[in-house]
Order: sequence, then C-alpha cells, then structure tokens
Amino acid sequence: MTRSQRLLRDTVASLAANKAKVGLMMLGVTAGMAVLAAVIVTGQGARERIMGLVSKHGLDMLMVRAGGEVQVFAPRADRGLAVLFPEDAEAIRSGIPGVRLASVVQNQRGVTVVHQERAVTTRAFGVEDQWMEIRRWGMAEGEFVSPADLSAMARVVMLGAKVARDLFPEGGAVGQTVRVVNDPYMVKGVFIEMGASAGGDDWDDRIVLPFTTTSRRLLARPSLEQIVIRVADARGLPETAERVRALLRVRHGIGPGEPDDFFVREPEDVQGAALETSSTLSALLLAISLTALLAGGIVIMNVMVLSVAQRRREIGLRRALGARSGDITRQFLLESLVVAVAAGAAGLVLGVAAALVLSAAGMASSRVTWVPFAVALLACAVLGVVFGLHPARQAGRVDPVLALRAGRG
Amino acid sequence: MIRVLEVVKSYAKGAARVDVLTGVTFTVAPGEFVAIMGASGSGKSTLLNLLGFLDRPDAGTYLFEGVDWSDKDDDARSVLRNRKIGFVFQQFHLLDRATALRNVMLPLLYAEDEATDDVARAERALAAVGLSHRGDHFPGELSGGEQQRAAIARALVNAPSLILADEPTGNLDARAGSEILELFAGLRDAGRAIVLVTHDLAAAQRADRILRLDAGRILS
Repeated sequence: MTRSQRLLRDTVASLAANKAKVGLMMLGVTAGMAVLAAVIVTGQGARERIMGLVSKHGLDMLMVRAGGEVQVFAPRADRGLAVLFPEDAEAIRSGIPGVRLASVVQNQRGVTVVHQERAVTTRAFGVEDQWMEIRRWGMAEGEFVSPADLSAMARVVMLGAKVARDLFPEGGAVGQTVRVVNDPYMVKGVFIEMGASAGGDDWDDRIVLPFTTTSRRLLARPSLEQIVIRVADARGLPETAERVRALLRVRHGIGPGEPDDFFVREPEDVQGAALETSSTLSALLLAISLTALLAGGIVIMNVMVLSVAQRRREIGLRRALGARSGDITRQFLLESLVVAVAAGAAGLVLGVAAALVLSAAGMASSRVTWVPFAVALLACAVLGVVFGLHPARQAGRVDPVLALRAGRG
Repeated sequence: MIRVLEVVKSYAKGAARVDVLTGVTFTVAPGEFVAIMGASGSGKSTLLNLLGFLDRPDAGTYLFEGVDWSDKDDDARSVLRNRKIGFVFQQFHLLDRATALRNVMLPLLYAEDEATDDVARAERALAAVGLSHRGDHFPGELSGGEQQRAAIARALVNAPSLILADEPTGNLDARAGSEILELFAGLRDAGRAIVLVTHDLAAAQRADRILRLDAGRILS
C-alpha cells in the first residue's frame, strides 16, 4: 500500500468516525448540487424538446414566394409579372442578421426524365447547396449539389425516392446517366424517403438540380419561384421575417400603401409558446444553486477551522509519531476534498432523482447527459481544495510541542 | 545511542525569558533504560521534546546514533522520528474514535516503506504488550493500564531504537503502573534504549540508571 493510499484510508476512516460533523459539512454543498443537477437535467430536457419541435415543424424556416398574397388565386399567366431574383436572395443572405442559411429555388412541373426504356414526368427544382440543410433533407445514396456544381453549371441531378424507384427498380441509380428533357445528366444522388407535405405534395416525386444548371440550361430563365431561409434562432423568426419583408419592399420599389409583390410564409405558430422557455426561472435556480454551493464551501471551511482547533492534540500526536507538516496539511486537504466530492455526488443523485420524478409527473422534461455532471463533480473537488486550503495550512502549522502540552490535563 | 552535550533551551514567556535547560550533558547507551527525575517544571518534558526532535536546542550538541541532526530540516527530522523513536505519554494520547488496532497503526501511516502488511504489524505490536484480544476495542472501553499498553504498542510498531516515555505511569494506579514499568524492562532486554521521565522515585528505580534534573542541569 502506498503512502497516499494509507493517508486516504485513514482519512476515510476518520471521517466515518465523525458522521454527524461530516453530515453538517456536506449539507450546503449537497443542497446546492441537488438544485444545480435538477436545473441541468430539466434544462437539457427542455432544450432537447424545443430542438425536436423546431426541426420537426420547421419552426426556424422562412419561405419567400414570388407573387403577392392576392395573386395566389390569379390566373397562372399573371403570376410571372412579379418575380424574385437571385440578387434578392443574396441581399437577404448578406444583409439580414439572424439569417443562417438561404437558397434560391426554381421549379418547373411536367419535366420528363428518361432512363433506357423507362420514363417519368415529374417536377424539377433548381437549388443552391444550402438548400438541403435548410429543408433538413437527407441523401439515401450519393451526394447533394456542391458549390463546384453551381459554378460549373454541372449536368448532375438528384432523384426523389419515388423517381429513383420508377427509373431504377433494381437500384444503382447513382453514376448512371438519365435524359432530362432530352439532355444527358449524371445521377449524383438519391434522396431518402421524405413523404408528402401537409398540402399533399409528394416530396419523393421530384428531381433536384443545381440552380445555375436550371437557370442557364434546363429552364433558361433567371426568375425564382421561392427563396428558402433558415434562421439562427427560431425565437427570433418573426423579427427576421419582418426584416425580409422590409428589405424586399425596398428592393422591389414598393411604395407605402401598395401591397407586396411577394409573400413571406412563416411556419404556423402551433408551437410558438413552446419556444418560450422558462429561462428566467432556470436562471434564478442556477443563481440559487451556485450561491448554495458557495455557502456550502464556506461551511466546509468553517467546520474545518473548528475541527483543526479541536484536533490540535491529535495533530501534535501525529507529528510526534512522525507525520511531516506537509502530511498533516495533505490529510486535512484530503478530508475537505473527500467531503466536498461526496457531498456533490449525493447532491447529484438527489437532484437527478428529483428531476426524473418531475418529468415522470409531466411537469418537466429531463435529459441526463454525463458531461455536465463530470464538470460539476470536478467543480466540487476544486471547491473542496479551495475552501480546505486555509484550514489545512493552519493544521500543518500546529506546533506539536505546544499542542501536546495543551492536551495535558 | 544518544549523546547530549551542554544543551541549552529557554523560552520567551511574555516579556521574560525562562531558562529551562542551562547546560545538560549525559549519554544513553543502546539497550539502556535510563530514568530522568526532577520536580515538575524542572525541564523534563522540554528535554524529552529535544531528544525526540520535536524541538531544537538553543545551544549545545545532541548526537543521535552519532549524527548531529540539528541542521536538518523538519521533514527529515519527522522521518527520523517516525523510524527511530517511539513516544509514550502520560495521558496516552489515543484517538478516541479509533480502535486500539487503528491507533497502533497510526505511525505506519507516515512510514516510507510500502510493502508491509500494516494490520499484521500492528497485531504483532499489540501481542507484544499483551493486548491481542483488545484490538477492536475503542480507548473508552479499555482500562487505563490497557490504554497505556496500546500506546506503547503504537510506540513499538515501527521498531524504534529509542523509546521516550513522559510520566507513563502518572495516570495509572500502582498496579497498572507497575505492569507498564515491567513492560519497559522487557523492551530494554529486547535491545531498545529507553528514556523515562518521571518524578516518581519508585518508577525511576526500575531503570538501570537515574539522572536527576535540577535547575536546568543534570546532577551527577
């Protein structure tokens, strides 16, 4: 057994012999850590729930559609009068804070895609490389549009799952050549199954190409049907939408009182309230728990200072038995370290249990991840050392001659 | 074993200076049992603290096994104390909340050697003082004589060459005290040097030699 193992064993034995005192020392840190752990667990749970809602409902996505609201029901031919251009997208991307990603979108129905003797008629989309991340789509195989494809006007195409199934029933679409409106395109990727939109559009029945390829080759027009935008923070979405609207009105020269010639669609506000996190409450709890931890540290220090005074005789004895001054300091430091970490661990267990009970009762959602707890325990260890240092040094400085004489009685 | 030459020690007591030892000279041979007698306040405990490296003399020379340790630092002197010296006190100084066995193991906590079986060594030391059966008792459950025997086992556990005992029978009745002195005599026979400080003549007479400390000096 090494010297430090012996010291640790002696420390634990001596703490175990003073359970009441140790319990008192642990109280503050345990309480602080319990609240902190509960805050962490429920905070993580709330965060995760919100992230899930945001991605499930696209709560961080804006869509700008060409043509004003009134024109939705206008005859199809009239709609092209009011248009969006790639420069509008660029202005949104570079000019509006809070916009994380943006992509232009062109689309055209009735596009024929042929592979050998199979043919389908589907809808073609021309998009930029950020589009997939904005829409949260994924590739089943192959790759999505790259910036290189955009600058090269590459003749590549990505197939919706249904299109891929129809043209390549045996699979292996990626790398094959298909004809889109009679021109050859290389299949670069196939999307995962996306299902249908709420409006009944079949998301799997479409093909996607680089925007430059559609605007210069396939559709041969610069105007856009849509700009899709993803904001950095879903809670700021209404403000961002308003900024987009204001910017486009200026760019399109729309005077006061005139209607928009575009339409900014925000996600339906179904879950808006869910985004309002109880951040004030958790900030308050966080402050309380940190205060309790600090108070716990001070309790440890005070009890240790008292205990050094009470144990002067013991310290003198240990010195007489051959303990070096540093051994005494180390032992007292080890005591406060062990107490603080044990108190922290107890608090963690209590706090996590409380959070799990709350979430089982449906009053909060919980998510237990280990990193914050490792950090919290480390913080307890630091706390134990910091607040133990002063009493431990005092203990090391006890003069054995005086201490043993004082014990005489 | 030890050689003390013209050792001087004084303390500041408020503004006044108290000369406790004014020039103490004596030797103790290996395996010798020496008693130092003196009235209370004659500097017996101060002398014992110097011999045990808990304190340093103001002047004079103290050779332990031929070596002068006065210029060594506290840590080196602590290690030496741990290995070579066993202390026995009048009021036992056992830890109340630790069993006799754990009390006996205390010096091993600060020992440098790592490969020993601490429990076995402590049990052997308890056996040497006839307390094998009391190892798991707390001090409060032991008689005074038993407590002092546990304290002696603690002093023995690191196999020291010198035992320093400060009034070890002072808190014991005559019979228990006699047993403790018997134990010391046995330790001397096993080759350890013993310095016993006492003001009790009957106790001192169990030693090989009696030194009288008076006014800070050893009377011949």
